[in-house]
Amino acid sequence: MAPSADQHARVIPGGFTVLSLRFSEDDAHAALHQLCVKEHRVRAESSTNRPLDRTLFVLNVPPYCTESVITEMFSRFGPVQSVELKERPGASEPSHSGLTKHFTDKHRQCFRVAYIVFRHASGVNAAKRHPENVPLVVSTAERPVRTGIHKWIQQYSDSLIKASSLQQDIDQFMNDYDRQKEEVSVIEGSVTPPRSQTAPRTHIGRSLISNISSVSDIAELRKKFEEDKQRIAVLRAQRKFRPY
Amino acid sequence: MKKKRKESTEIKTEDQVRSQDSKRKAKGTVSDDGVLRPVKLSKKELYKAPTVEELNQLKEAENLFHCSILKMQMEELLKEVALSEHRKKLVDSFVQQITDFLQCVPESEVVELDDISWLAGVEVPFLLVPSTAKGKFHMEPPASISLVGSYPLGTCIKPKVSVDLAVTIPASILHPMDAINQRYSRKRALYLAGLARHLSFAKCVGSLHYSCLHGNRLRPVLLLKPPGNDSSKVTLRIHAIPPPDFLKPSRFHPQKNNIRTEWFTGVANTEPPTPHYNSTVLGDHLPLSHLQFLSAISAQCPAFGEGVALLKVWLRQRELDQGAGCFCGFLASMLMAYLLSTHKVGKTMNPYQLLRNALHFLASTDLTENGITLAKNPDSKAVSRSDSSIYLLFLPSLPEFHAAFSVVFVDPSGHLNLLADMTVFTYKRIQHEASLSLTFWDDPTVDGFQALLMTPKSMLRTYDNVFKLVNLVKLQTSCKKLLLLNELMDHSGNYVLTALPFVLSLLQRGLGERIHLLVHSLPQDPEWPVDSAPPKHKDQPPLSIGLLLNLEHALSVLERGPPADNPKAAEFRQLWGSLSQLRRFQDGAITEAVLWSGNSISHRRFIVLKIINHLLELYVSILAVCFICTCSWCVFVPQNHTTGEEESLEVVQSYDDLSRKLWQLKDLPLSITSVQGAHQALRYTQVFPPVPVRLDYSFFEKKKNRLGLVPKENNPCPCYIAPIKVIVHMEGSGKWPSEPMAIRHVKAAFHICLRELLCNQHNYRCHATPGYLDVWKDGLVFRIQVAYHREPQILRESLTPEGMLIYRDNAEAQALELETLHKPFLTSTLHGLQQQYGCFGVVCRLAKRWLASQFLLEDIREEATDLLVASLFLHPAPFTPPSSPQVGFLRFLHLLSTFDWKNNPLIVNLNGKLTAVEQTDIKNDFVASRESLPTMFIVTPNDKKVSVWTKEAPSVQMLQRAVMLAAESLRVLETRLDSGEKQDMRVAFRPPLEAYDVLIHLDSKQVPLLAKAVDPPVNTFQRGTHGGQPYASGGALPVIDYDPVRLYLSELRDAFGDLALFFYDPYGGTVIAVLWKPNAFEPKPFKTSLMNARRVKVNDDVATTVPNVEAILQDFRIIGEGLVKRLELRTEKWVV
Repeated sequence: MAPSADQHARVIPGGFTVLSLRFSEDDAHAALHQLCVKEHRVRAESSTNRPLDRTLFVLNVPPYCTESVITEMFSRFGPVQSVELKERPGASEPSHSGLTKHFTDKHRQCFRVAYIVFRHASGVNAAKRHPENVPLVVSTAERPVRTGIHKWIQQYSDSLIKASSLQQDIDQFMNDYDRQKEEVSVIEGSVTPPRSQTAPRTHIGRSLISNISSVSDIAELRKKFEEDKQRIAVLRAQRKFRPY
Repeated sequence: MKKKRKESTEIKTEDQVRSQDSKRKAKGTVSDDGVLRPVKLSKKELYKAPTVEELNQLKEAENLFHCSILKMQMEELLKEVALSEHRKKLVDSFVQQITDFLQCVPESEVVELDDISWLAGVEVPFLLVPSTAKGKFHMEPPASISLVGSYPLGTCIKPKVSVDLAVTIPASILHPMDAINQRYSRKRALYLAGLARHLSFAKCVGSLHYSCLHGNRLRPVLLLKPPGNDSSKVTLRIHAIPPPDFLKPSRFHPQKNNIRTEWFTGVANTEPPTPHYNSTVLGDHLPLSHLQFLSAISAQCPAFGEGVALLKVWLRQRELDQGAGCFCGFLASMLMAYLLSTHKVGKTMNPYQLLRNALHFLASTDLTENGITLAKNPDSKAVSRSDSSIYLLFLPSLPEFHAAFSVVFVDPSGHLNLLADMTVFTYKRIQHEASLSLTFWDDPTVDGFQALLMTPKSMLRTYDNVFKLVNLVKLQTSCKKLLLLNELMDHSGNYVLTALPFVLSLLQRGLGERIHLLVHSLPQDPEWPVDSAPPKHKDQPPLSIGLLLNLEHALSVLERGPPADNPKAAEFRQLWGSLSQLRRFQDGAITEAVLWSGNSISHRRFIVLKIINHLLELYVSILAVCFICTCSWCVFVPQNHTTGEEESLEVVQSYDDLSRKLWQLKDLPLSITSVQGAHQALRYTQVFPPVPVRLDYSFFEKKKNRLGLVPKENNPCPCYIAPIKVIVHMEGSGKWPSEPMAIRHVKAAFHICLRELLCNQHNYRCHATPGYLDVWKDGLVFRIQVAYHREPQILRESLTPEGMLIYRDNAEAQALELETLHKPFLTSTLHGLQQQYGCFGVVCRLAKRWLASQFLLEDIREEATDLLVASLFLHPAPFTPPSSPQVGFLRFLHLLSTFDWKNNPLIVNLNGKLTAVEQTDIKNDFVASRESLPTMFIVTPNDKKVSVWTKEAPSVQMLQRAVMLAAESLRVLETRLDSGEKQDMRVAFRPPLEAYDVLIHLDSKQVPLLAKAVDPPVNTFQRGTHGGQPYASGGALPVIDYDPVRLYLSELRDAFGDLALFFYDPYGGTVIAVLWKPNAFEPKPFKTSLMNARRVKVNDDVATTVPNVEAILQDFRIIGEGLVKRLELRTEKWVV
């Protein structure tokens, strides 16, 4: 699907190419989201997950676009190797190793950025040359994307899990954990870290003494008097003394 | 008074003495926005040598008042209510003008008393019943005009400044025998009409109305207002009075008759005493001598005027100072004079002490039993000859007064009962208020000043039940029925005032132990223009009857009377009529009894209404329709048929059973240390408590492996089953790992373990997940969450690079503490509160229903609301703790709309654990760090510094909106309730939708709580439930906690929370209201971190972005596929 002669990619200042995105192909007049894409280029990063020449950086990915949807959508530019979705641009974090699916936290359903790694560098260039007036389509007849009630029912159904599979996960984690602990204690020789000294702050209770004798009492009363006077001033300013 | 002044000037000089530097500081502490700042005083200032005056002053403040603030507050209040010099000048000149004008009233010809043709255009302010009267009348200029009452005495206070002017009727108009048969009163009214006619030509008069003195239609007064802008500044009341010593006071002894039965009824009969009529006529004679008396007394006591002013403010806030049978300002002065003359207060006392002693006297003296008198020698008939007043010889005695009147306070002359019109009920109300006020005053943790003098106590907000007596004309027939003709004559035909005490005492007998106090509103003085006829008795606005319920007995269905053979049984039968039946009880006694129907608590709340209706119908022939029960509307708001109190109880019982079973579980690796409820339903405050259900399996899909039911795609959303959260703490042990992730896994293992045990030992269907364990039991779902007490601590631990273990607070730990520590504690504490105050739960639920319907429940969260309501019960000042849902709800709205959140923390002293000193410390800490604290700061004994429930929300804007909506709802509700007509009170539960930008209308089929909506539609859909008894255990796991609307909302907020706010009524709302944030549409420069849901525009090589509104609206539909029906755009409100 090469761009024809009169269709040019729209490149904005900053070097991003604007692609448009439509949810469903049925609705030709629907409003479009704008995805901004650019090759991924961060000097400091030397992550193997995002090879510089093959990674496409995408802004403004709507919440209903999952990894698989994006893979499908961007396959038109070339075979996609991996997709990483993040809430905001930044270095890639190693995914929680050892965490099984029951224990990973659900991510927020917000607009995200994507790092798409193509198999070949040509995929990145093809995407950057794509014209704005040919929108990408999220949900097609062959691979419909479910939202709303359908999705929530599916979600609910998925949340019902078998106790045995959960138990399996737990066992696996605990085995790993125990092994790790053993290793650590072998290496370090089981040293418990020292606790930092935080002295409990003593609270000095104040008591009102009925007859005025010492200097500090007078000082106390004076302070109170000043406080009260200020309170009154504020209330007066707010006309708080009008009984009705 | 002089002394006071002196002191206050001293304060000022003190201030001036202080260095310029500190002055600037002191000024700086009060910012422009009215927020308190901590006071900073230098050491030098604090520790400089005190002067003697300063010591005295500080000492007085500490000893007499709890703290100096109360003294200052009172002084400020007095400044507010005192008349300014400018106002006094205005009054004086107006009085002078009117006096001058009245001096030249033209004389008129002598005509018959019946002939009123000479009064062209002006009506006589008098109800001519009976219409015939003998006598002659003519106009003549007044014999004298003088100021009387509070203004010359110096006790006149704002806001309603009324100045009394006594105009003496010339002796030539009156005849010595005029006291008989209302002749004097009619002449007095004619004379006033004559003055009114003359004044209607005066240019200096703005408006001219008639009214009457304290509801007494025989004592009309003329109300004058100055013209133009000054009209609201003063009202001149013109009283016509007879010449002094014109009529002999001895003629008006309370046992004498001055209205002939033959004249009044047309039938000659015995002549009964007419004490009320007598005191009416007598009262006209005495204003001048009363003024002299009071002036003499007040001259002795410098603080007299200010003390009386405080007492008047106190009375006014309690609606006791106006209307028939009121305790008016004049009586306040008289009471103070009595206290001074009997040395119950000292002459050197300050206003604060005068008020306190007056309240103490009222609280402790029952004037209905032991009347008091200001006369010198009240009971001695043998008066010393030196006393020149011959009237003293014929003074009535106190017992004679008691026989004729219900409340007795005799004036200095010894002839007049100043409280002649007051009912026993009103006096009891004053006593109740006085003793209540004293308890608040003595409690150092209560702001006594606010409670006593600043908070208005309207009937609706004060009494648990308020009934409206609307069809007052029916009281006329009741006078006949109750054989009150003599009393009717005594009250000159005012059947409302005649019948009221009798009707009320009937109700008092019928209600008996069910109530603490029965009060009535005082019939207000009518006011009408001089050219229209006086209003009839039946034109009065409805009277209110207020009850303070005794919840121990108020809801009992049985009224047990005396045994059948007891002589009192006849009395009981007579009171209750056909409802009284002989019944045999389990203890073997056979007694008279009345049994009321009522299955649920909500029905039993109506018993009081039923009793009142029954008695009124029986004795007064007022039909039930005349009454509006202001509590009925509340029933319909929370749940369609019942108020849900029984359902809450059922949930709690099922929970108790589960808790017992958990404790008894065997074979757990670690033992359970506590089982705690952490759900609103377990403290009776869930708006719609979970109802046990029995499922219709065909309605659902079944998931394979018997995991549970799943909603079917084309069916309506299944009924919502709320999980009831239970926290189970496991014992601490070395077996617990010390790493957060591992703890999570161990907890999950516990969930599985509990699941096995509950399933095997009790056959409950359970579902274990990493976070919780759902148990399907008795048609309810309990969500058990295992907790480990050290987990929050472990979450806070972190290692520094040097290997030090440090604690760092974080959101995760706080959230966990909230769930496993604060919530269970709050639940158990408030559960206790419900046991103490039976209405607590219902009020919470009403309050939350209201917040939800106004889209506020997500900002003011449930726990915060529960605490707000708890404060109404724990700190009711100046009221008593609410004993009915509606009064609690009205006070909740009032609290929310008037509390000064900016300057005060709301202290909810649960279980009374906070001492006064601690509370002061909390307040000081609050002021010191106001900026960093939440907008709404709620303190409990366990949470003194953080206010955990309001930390995240509400924001300042949302709180402001809540305050505004509460004030408006309160206003609407109170005016509707006050009008006495049956109206739909749900109006306060319908949110205004005008202000929002987009409305997302939802498909009601997919709204699971549709039936709970404020206005539920007729068809609420079949949602997969059967009628019938739910199974105690077993069965398939239902669809739990599945609410598509909530899922939709959370997705919307995740995606568009930066751009818009989303509002929704979680109880069956079918509309989501969207409000764009104020600056959402501003173009922003293009940034990779700021591109979400926006589109790019390029101008001159600069890329900016704006929200992609069309696509966003499109997304509203896409995300809510199957749920969203349509979008309503208010495009006129926002521009793209």
